Amino acid sequence: MSEKNELFEFETEGDSITVKPSGELVMTNADNYDLKQMPISKDTKKITLDLENVERYDTYLLAFIFRIEKMCKEKEIEFELIGVDTDMQSYLDLLMPKEEIEPEEEEKGSKFVLKVENFGNNIKTQLSDIHDFVEFFGILATKAMKLIFKPLSMRWEDFPAQVFRSGVMALPITMLIVFLIGLITGYQGATQLKRFGADMFIADLIGISITRELSPLMVAILVAGRSGSAFAAEIGSMKVTDEINAMTSMGYDKYEFLVLPRVLAVVLSMPFIVMICNVVGLFGGLIAAISTLDITVISYVNRLEMSLTYGDIASGLIKSIFFGFVISSIGCYKGLKVEGGADSVGRMTTSSVVAAVFMIILSDAIFTFIFQAIGI
Amino acid sequence: MEDDFIIEAQNVTVRYGELTVLEDVNFKIRRGEIFVIVGGSGCGKSTLLRQLIGLEVPTEGQIMIEGENLSEASADDSSSIMKKFGILFQSNGLFASMTIGENVKLALDSNTSLDEETADRIIDIKLNSVGLLNYKNFYPSEISGGMQKRAALARAMALDPDILFFDEPSSGLDPLTASALDKLIIELNAGLNTTMVIITHDLASILNISHRVLMLDKSVKGVITEGKPDELLNMKENELVYNFFNRIPMEG
Repeated sequence: MSEKNELFEFETEGDSITVKPSGELVMTNADNYDLKQMPISKDTKKITLDLENVERYDTYLLAFIFRIEKMCKEKEIEFELIGVDTDMQSYLDLLMPKEEIEPEEEEKGSKFVLKVENFGNNIKTQLSDIHDFVEFFGILATKAMKLIFKPLSMRWEDFPAQVFRSGVMALPITMLIVFLIGLITGYQGATQLKRFGADMFIADLIGISITRELSPLMVAILVAGRSGSAFAAEIGSMKVTDEINAMTSMGYDKYEFLVLPRVLAVVLSMPFIVMICNVVGLFGGLIAAISTLDITVISYVNRLEMSLTYGDIASGLIKSIFFGFVISSIGCYKGLKVEGGADSVGRMTTSSVVAAVFMIILSDAIFTFIFQAIGI
Repeated sequence: MEDDFIIEAQNVTVRYGELTVLEDVNFKIRRGEIFVIVGGSGCGKSTLLRQLIGLEVPTEGQIMIEGENLSEASADDSSSIMKKFGILFQSNGLFASMTIGENVKLALDSNTSLDEETADRIIDIKLNSVGLLNYKNFYPSEISGGMQKRAALARAMALDPDILFFDEPSSGLDPLTASALDKLIIELNAGLNTTMVIITHDLASILNISHRVLMLDKSVKGVITEGKPDELLNMKENELVYNFFNRIPMEG
């Protein structure tokens, strides 16, 4: 009995099947040679693979033979290969593994044990990360102390460029965002205050929320996205391309050469950015106030002068200095943690932004309690 | 066989703005030969390679691959022509986030509809042919530079290409590993009849493996000679070629 399926022909004779593929037995043509089409039954005792009609072949030929051979082995069927010419034989000899390829068995263990093991490994990684960061922080603090006594130990040539990139270049976007935040807060606040006839208190609301919270927080989040990620990517790429090793071998200290200029640039830039953004945010609130409430520019400014204290402004600026330190040190730390290639740079860059934003918000909460306690 | 040319560069000129890197370059590569392109630094070898593999289009002239014009092909056509190539880049180009096996599988996934088991078999065969079967589940960073080259070669060969391009295959390898890679190139060329186009500086490698050599030089912005390696080694009439192949520094 003969069954034809275009390029894949089978001849059944008693308990034997002869498989006769023809045409191009190549990877891109594999759909034509589906082994499921083979009419194997419980009674099949022998399969003969006849390659005589194969006109062109590539590695798929060997994979095809392997699969039929494996199938026969599993079903305890005798296997025979015929119709192999000299060229085909040399091709098969070249590719044929010296030892039989057996797919590796995956290590099997109890799922519960694996989960506990993974959990343990994650905890270990986190703890080691905390340890490394504390170590990094310690070295950074030591280098910063050294800077006080030996100001020339840092690479100052890099400092103005870092201030420009992290501070000056960040101004347009931070100003725009804080202006819009002031505007939104003003509109939202005005609606509520109007209901109680407390229109004048819009200046208090805008003044305190912008200077104490919104301006430092928004600026910090934006700088984390701009500069923190840039530091991680820059330093990480330098690590991948051995630039940091080259620098170390030339006697330069990576903290003094790379980390300190960046940290110092962001720490010093942040209060200036926040001060400028405070003014812009209050202006946004003013626009909302005069357009929705029955107050004038003069009365808004007078009320601001009465309600805003030096403490409000100082608390925002103190926080911004700390946020700057958090953003830049996390960015540099993550950059130095890069290992391997491009994927590690990507992971560490993302991680630097996530960690910085989390630390900014956490430290903001802590600052709020501290300032409350000491009455600022 | 003599006239079965698989690659033809016809009047290839490459300019970047005012700068002419290659001018009127012509050569033909026969099917199944190991063709080496050599030349000093800055002579345009890498530029020529980028034209040959279709990453750039020559300013003038054309690159013909098996009679098809790669330089004027549409995006779809050039993609189908490029499936005939395997390329081993100088820095390997292995994806660091994938295992060696996954790197090879990536080439199969994008161009075939093989079932998992067959694809897995083919990956094993490819890794076996470069002696890396036991490293299938290793990441590139976990194996040596020589192994990375071989893994990249397995990936380049995944689809059984008609032509394999090598950009400085022995760079960064010790002489023994480089020689083992040369041996592998010769074996694969002999066994699979794959055309090999190799860009290299490695004289030992050129003399060991090449069937024909094309030498470029920046003084002419193109080809200064073409021939068998032993002919070039003894080409005393051409000082540039003789000095290059005999490692004699040029005066001045």
